[in-house]
Amino acid sequence: MALSRSFVLGQHYPGTSVVHRSGALVKLVSTIALMIGVFVATKTVQYIPILLLLVVGIGVSRIPLRFFVRGLKPILFLIVLTVVVQIFFTPGTPIWQFWFVRVTREGLGLAGFILCRLVLLTLVSVLLTASTSPIELTDAVSDLLKPLSYIGLPSAEIALVMSIAMRFVPTILEETERIIRAQVSRGARIGEGNLVVRMKSFIPILIPLFVSSFRRADDLAVAMEARGFRVGSPRTRYHARHFQSFDACILLGTAAALSGVILWRLFL
Amino acid sequence: MSIDLKNVDYVYDSGEPFEYFALRGISLHIDDGAFVGIVGRTGSGKSTLVEHLNGLLFSTRGEVIVDDEIVSKERTVLAKVRRRVGIVFQYPEDQFFAETVFEEVAFGCRNYGFSKEQVDESVHKAMSTVGLDLERFLSLSPFQLSGGEQRRVAIASVIAMGQKYIVLDEPTAGLDSGTKLAVLTELEALRQTANVTVILVSHNMDEVAEFCKEVVVLDGGTVAFQGSTDAFFSDVDLVDRTGLELPESYRLARALKECGSSLTVNECSTSRMLDSLRLCVSDLGGA
Repeated sequence: MALSRSFVLGQHYPGTSVVHRSGALVKLVSTIALMIGVFVATKTVQYIPILLLLVVGIGVSRIPLRFFVRGLKPILFLIVLTVVVQIFFTPGTPIWQFWFVRVTREGLGLAGFILCRLVLLTLVSVLLTASTSPIELTDAVSDLLKPLSYIGLPSAEIALVMSIAMRFVPTILEETERIIRAQVSRGARIGEGNLVVRMKSFIPILIPLFVSSFRRADDLAVAMEARGFRVGSPRTRYHARHFQSFDACILLGTAAALSGVILWRLFL
Repeated sequence: MSIDLKNVDYVYDSGEPFEYFALRGISLHIDDGAFVGIVGRTGSGKSTLVEHLNGLLFSTRGEVIVDDEIVSKERTVLAKVRRRVGIVFQYPEDQFFAETVFEEVAFGCRNYGFSKEQVDESVHKAMSTVGLDLERFLSLSPFQLSGGEQRRVAIASVIAMGQKYIVLDEPTAGLDSGTKLAVLTELEALRQTANVTVILVSHNMDEVAEFCKEVVVLDGGTVAFQGSTDAFFSDVDLVDRTGLELPESYRLARALKECGSSLTVNECSTSRMLDSLRLCVSDLGGA
């Protein structure tokens, strides 16, 4: 349980809001567009259009802010490190100096800029993964890859591999916990002692995990074939989605934000 | 010496909106040398309860006491508790990793720092307890054994450590009926010869009636009953309310009584019923 709980980035927060109900492909495309927008911006103020759209999106999604804060935690170290490096190592007009430590106006500006960039990138992706179930997301990826199938890329198979992998992440985490509990009950001490001992202590966990994963893969293949699955045969979807008005709203909003950033950078 | 639980609560996601009581106010007492059954429908908290007994989970409130030692996260206490309470989980053969049966069974003993002689002796003893021929199995890979043999090796790998309390979570799930009976009989023998306390989690009421003198019945994370197995199965309403079923032999005895048959037997486990029926028949023959 502990392992699966700490797996936050890329976690789904079920809900019924407009953001949840809109198409995964639409959300994926607009997330990619917003990320491009974040990289297009050259000044902190140019983030404003993206920030506005994000605030509206988060508000409408009714996903608690706490959830987004948790999503920031895994990259906290990265954020702190880059901000500190930018503050202290950017040359320019000094505004504060002590011995060899110097803070410059440019450094502060750049740090703020990078901070906003990292936070925005994370929040945008958290909003996508929180409001979209992993299965919807893989379907969207497969739709996105579909044009490439004309040049020989097996996009349907890639999507299948992805969705099976995602489907089994919680199962395998659970299995890992089960095995750890069993081995700890047999007196195993995991992650204690020096490096060699520590590496060795993972063998009684990894081998059973591999064995059960192979067995599971075998069973799954048999079960799928028994129910008529054939590689390469055309597939339909259980949940067929149609383009809806709020999908259009999201796309229009994204287009507005992205062009806002581009125009701001070019003309102001 | 005994295992005692005092008012134990276990709450998943305490304080979160999804807060869920897996155990609520559990108090129970398990005597040394007993053969106790833990029963209850799926989701009644059996597995959660079991994981409290050797400090894999820690109670949110209340105390778990193993031989006067209050289970806590402190390392020395935890080591002592785990040294006393062994758990055989569901499908324990899923934990196999060693190259040979010997290494698999010896794993726990090595972890507890047994000397080479002690390891040899414990492995041999454990293998003969579960009724496996030493010479044939020790150098085989545990992965090439049959299902029943694997289960026995897995049980041996826990009892080899020589713990005072052995908890088994559905040890007979997926075994054929002959092997089921044999495995439980071996555990009963272990209890008698080595004075090991056996705690059996089971869905099979026939098994429970046959081997457990006492039962702990869980329902919705609370203790619905603790006491003698016969007393529990004679309270049909309680059995029904807790989502369980009467053992076959109890049902037969009730059916005979209800249809007013001249042949009546006491409500008891299958083997005892067979014994009393044999006695009946020999009486009839004598008359």
